[in-house]
Amino acid sequence: MSTNHNDELAQERLIDLAVEFYDQFAGGDIPHMDIPTRTKSNIVFDEESKVWVYGDRTSTRSANSVRGARKLLKATYAIEFLVNQLEEDRSSTLRELYYLSESWDNEEAQFNDQDESNQLIEDLEIVSKVTREDFHMRPEESGATLMGPLELREQTRRGEREIHCQEDVGEGGYQIPNNPDTIEFLDHDIEFVLCVETGGMRDRLIENGFDEKHGCLVVHLKGQPARATRRITKRLHDELDLPVVVFTDGDPWSYRIYGSVAYGSIKSAHLSEYLATPEAEFVGIQPQDIVDYDLPTDPLSDSDVNALQSELEDPRFMTDYWEEQIELQLDIDKKAEQQALASRGLDFVTDTYLPERLGEMGVL
Amino acid sequence: MTSFQSTLGEDAGIAEELAESQRAISIAEFFEKNKHMLGFDSGARGLVTAVKEAVDNALDATEEAGIKPDISVEIRESGDYYTLVVEDNGPGITKPQIPKVFGKLLYGSRFHAREQSRGQQGIGISAAVLYSQLTSGKPAKITSRTKGAETAQYFELIIDTDTNEPEIQVEKELSPGESDLSPTHGTRIEVEMEANMRARQQLHDYVKHTAVVNPHARLVLMEPGLEEPLRYERVDGAGLPAETEEIRPHPHGVELGTLIKMLGRTESYSVSGFLQEEFTRVGAKTADKILDNFRDRHFGREMGWSVSDGEEVDLDAAIVDAVSNKGADATDAFAGRVGDTLRNRQRTTHFELGDIVDTVADDVGDEFDVTFGDTVRENAVEAAWAVLTLERTTDIYGLVDDATSTQKDDATVHGLAERVAEKFGANDSHRETYRQVRDYVDRSADVLVDDDVTFGETARENVTDALWSVMRTVPDDVPKVKDVADDRDVASQLLEGMREADILAPPTNCLSPISAELVEAGLRKEYDADFYAAATRDAEVHGGDPFIVEAGIAYGGELAAEGSVDLLRFANRVPLVYQRGACATTDVVKRIGWRNYGLDQPGGSGMPKGPAVIMVHVASTNVPFTSESKDALANIPAIEDEIELAIREASRELKSYLNKRRSMQKRRKKQDVLGRILPEMADKLAEVTKRERPNIDGALARIMNNVSVDRAVDGDTVTLAVENHSDRTETPDITDIVSAEPTDVPDDATVVDLDGEWFVKWNPSVSAGETAELTYTVASDASFDINVDGVETEKLTVNA
Repeated sequence: MSTNHNDELAQERLIDLAVEFYDQFAGGDIPHMDIPTRTKSNIVFDEESKVWVYGDRTSTRSANSVRGARKLLKATYAIEFLVNQLEEDRSSTLRELYYLSESWDNEEAQFNDQDESNQLIEDLEIVSKVTREDFHMRPEESGATLMGPLELREQTRRGEREIHCQEDVGEGGYQIPNNPDTIEFLDHDIEFVLCVETGGMRDRLIENGFDEKHGCLVVHLKGQPARATRRITKRLHDELDLPVVVFTDGDPWSYRIYGSVAYGSIKSAHLSEYLATPEAEFVGIQPQDIVDYDLPTDPLSDSDVNALQSELEDPRFMTDYWEEQIELQLDIDKKAEQQALASRGLDFVTDTYLPERLGEMGVL
Repeated sequence: MTSFQSTLGEDAGIAEELAESQRAISIAEFFEKNKHMLGFDSGARGLVTAVKEAVDNALDATEEAGIKPDISVEIRESGDYYTLVVEDNGPGITKPQIPKVFGKLLYGSRFHAREQSRGQQGIGISAAVLYSQLTSGKPAKITSRTKGAETAQYFELIIDTDTNEPEIQVEKELSPGESDLSPTHGTRIEVEMEANMRARQQLHDYVKHTAVVNPHARLVLMEPGLEEPLRYERVDGAGLPAETEEIRPHPHGVELGTLIKMLGRTESYSVSGFLQEEFTRVGAKTADKILDNFRDRHFGREMGWSVSDGEEVDLDAAIVDAVSNKGADATDAFAGRVGDTLRNRQRTTHFELGDIVDTVADDVGDEFDVTFGDTVRENAVEAAWAVLTLERTTDIYGLVDDATSTQKDDATVHGLAERVAEKFGANDSHRETYRQVRDYVDRSADVLVDDDVTFGETARENVTDALWSVMRTVPDDVPKVKDVADDRDVASQLLEGMREADILAPPTNCLSPISAELVEAGLRKEYDADFYAAATRDAEVHGGDPFIVEAGIAYGGELAAEGSVDLLRFANRVPLVYQRGACATTDVVKRIGWRNYGLDQPGGSGMPKGPAVIMVHVASTNVPFTSESKDALANIPAIEDEIELAIREASRELKSYLNKRRSMQKRRKKQDVLGRILPEMADKLAEVTKRERPNIDGALARIMNNVSVDRAVDGDTVTLAVENHSDRTETPDITDIVSAEPTDVPDDATVVDLDGEWFVKWNPSVSAGETAELTYTVASDASFDINVDGVETEKLTVNA
């Protein structure tokens, strides 16, 4: 799956879409496109692949209304822009696309706000079945980092680079590119992949040499993980056959971070199969750990309680394990951060907590 | 101190001194000093008011004579003054009446009549004469020629303000050639006054608005600012307003002074006759109701008492003891029957007891052939009454207990009952008015009230009402008319009785509404708009005077789009020009949510904005104005409600008109935008796909080519129209579901009755550019639900 091939495919799909509109016009029909409705109520859990995908409901963008016609006009202009961008092998950010529309000759085709342009790119992603990375569209923020015994080759704009993610990088680790599909894995000594929610904990693990000691690849999630972070995690699991574990704070929002790594998110449900790693396992902090290790805690806020309760009704968390843990948390009415483990000393997490937990899970 | 003394000493002298300068002032003198009350507060306004008074008079005079009004108004500059000439084609005024009509304030035919008319007090035109003589010093010149008369009468007169009598300066008889009067009959008045034309706009408004509400009149206005006269023509076919009939006053609408005056003048002897004769809506039954109310106030009611069931009470024995020398059998039979009757009754009043004793005494007397004389009867009544009233407290207790809340403890209830009973017992006349009963209750309650016991206003009222409701109206004859007329208090009792009785609303043939059609025609004539609607409400009553409210709306066209809408206010067909802000009509318009009806209204209240004219007409036998100058309607809730309903009724039509207009506009806008965007999109697609520009005509045609289905309802006639704007024949499948049975349905449609709903099915074939119509008849309050198939949804616009 070479990058050039991807570019060609993306270009082809976009032009196909334009051709479809063209044919509708030529056939005397009113141009339109059908897209899955992107709301919570139209997200279903695919039991087979264990990820969230869109349901059967669709909305139609038709040129029969003024609104619909404007949308399709904008889509046509965006298609032209993307096709040219791919042709020239350039890339741009979502925000750049929004500003760039100002330069289009037709005022009707310009975007009113960035939400509109972001939504249009999502529409095109879904209809063309090409990811926005393949359109060469980047998000504003750079991706997260990883650190560990992995050697890879990245196709950069300035040529191919071979990088060892422990030896060739600084303290900060290897920066995951926006399109991780430009990476080729060369060699590794990884035993397992450890995704960490907070920067503080990631730094603690590196400082204590946890990656070297246990052959661990530390992936920094930076809160809700970006698409690139989730994509590379999925590839590490699928291509190198590595176990993936997720280490977050002990609160409902962190469980959702785990959920989006493992099962996919609502906004990108059309890409769940491409981004989600259903085999990823949760390390902690578990509510059980709060009890077992007597960690310093904060009380649950009202929104925490609501979030926990809605998770109890969320099919993603309808397992014996999660029900038990969430009910326990509601019961003790407490939450704890990863850093709370420092109350037992700076080395407690690397010497005691993680080895014990990973041992239980059979990873170590 | 000294000065104080001297002042005291002079006091008597001052009073006498003052008395010398105290004298009656004539009405004319009063208004001379209070011109503003009649609308003559400035030169600008004075001129408008004078025109208004003269034109109102002219309209009233012509209409009353059954003549279609033809009125000309001319204003001329004459030196420092302005001359106003108003001429009509009315019946003319007889010679002796002319000086009084124009030279005496408060002289007129209207004041005492309960009938809708423009003028009411007879102040207006003579006030104009007064104003002109005060400002210019010149007399009013009046020419009048009655129908069929050979000559015209000419007067020059002023009002003597000291006496409120006309002072004739010139009196002539003119042949038609000499007279300035142009029609063969009518009246012409010419006054000269200090004035200015600063109120030109109001003057024009007044004349124009008069033309709107008097579509049967022809008006001509000439003033110095005009190149040529403004002419307001008659609406073709607009007849004279329906003749109104004078009605007698309604019992709910008179005041005490009026009532006493009417009592003094009537030829009736009995009050019942007086009521039936002098008032509208009073027949024998209603008169009886009023008389009973009158009795309750005049005589009071009697409280009844029950025979106590205590063992020591022996009613029969007491009666037997009171009767002597009638033989044992007769006495026993008499006592037994009276006793049984009383025991069977829940309550018996003193007069009822008297009746019972009389009846039984007559019966028993016949049977036993003895005579029960008056003394015996009286004794029997007295004895029985003593027994009846033995346990007053028990009787009162039951009533008080029922009327008070359960929170009152028994001691309080009993205490009150006991005290009230005492007070009934202390009154030898056996009669109490409602006020007296309330007084008993109040005094008794006041004694009981302390820190623990409360007896509030509501509880007192409830107790009083409970007592009053079981008391009986007495059968006494009411005083005769003469006695009522002589005694203010008794007359007031009668008035209260009249007000309390439920009486039918007054008849409405004393009113002459313009009618919705003519309101619309009037607006149509004077305003060039796109849309007109009007509504006339049914008559309602306020304070004994019937009234009718009408409203009209004109929208769009040449009406100014900027600023607030124009509000035309009318009372008895007279435009109200000044004091818009103080008028109930304005208040009502401001509080309606006009956004619901499709007009702009910043902030959701206040005067709406946009190209519209709203007109409101209130017709009544007595229009309640805020002042004598008759500029603004007073805020009477009953009238305000009707104004609001009338405006809303007319506005509903405006709303559907505006909705339709907006949907057409939206459609046009959509066609404009799509007509621009789609070709651009096609061009871009051709670029991206590197092909020829696609032919988009088909798609455009689908979007643009429109088949519309519209409904028009006119009374009970329904018309469905299918307009085909596309380029091919369309055959829509129309099902109109109607809530009432349609009739006169043409052959090309079928009607199916389905459980009280009628399905009118129609499949017209409409060729390109053509229109097909289906007309049928159905009850005007029917509702519709239409369904159109067989036409692509993109092409279809349903407005039905």
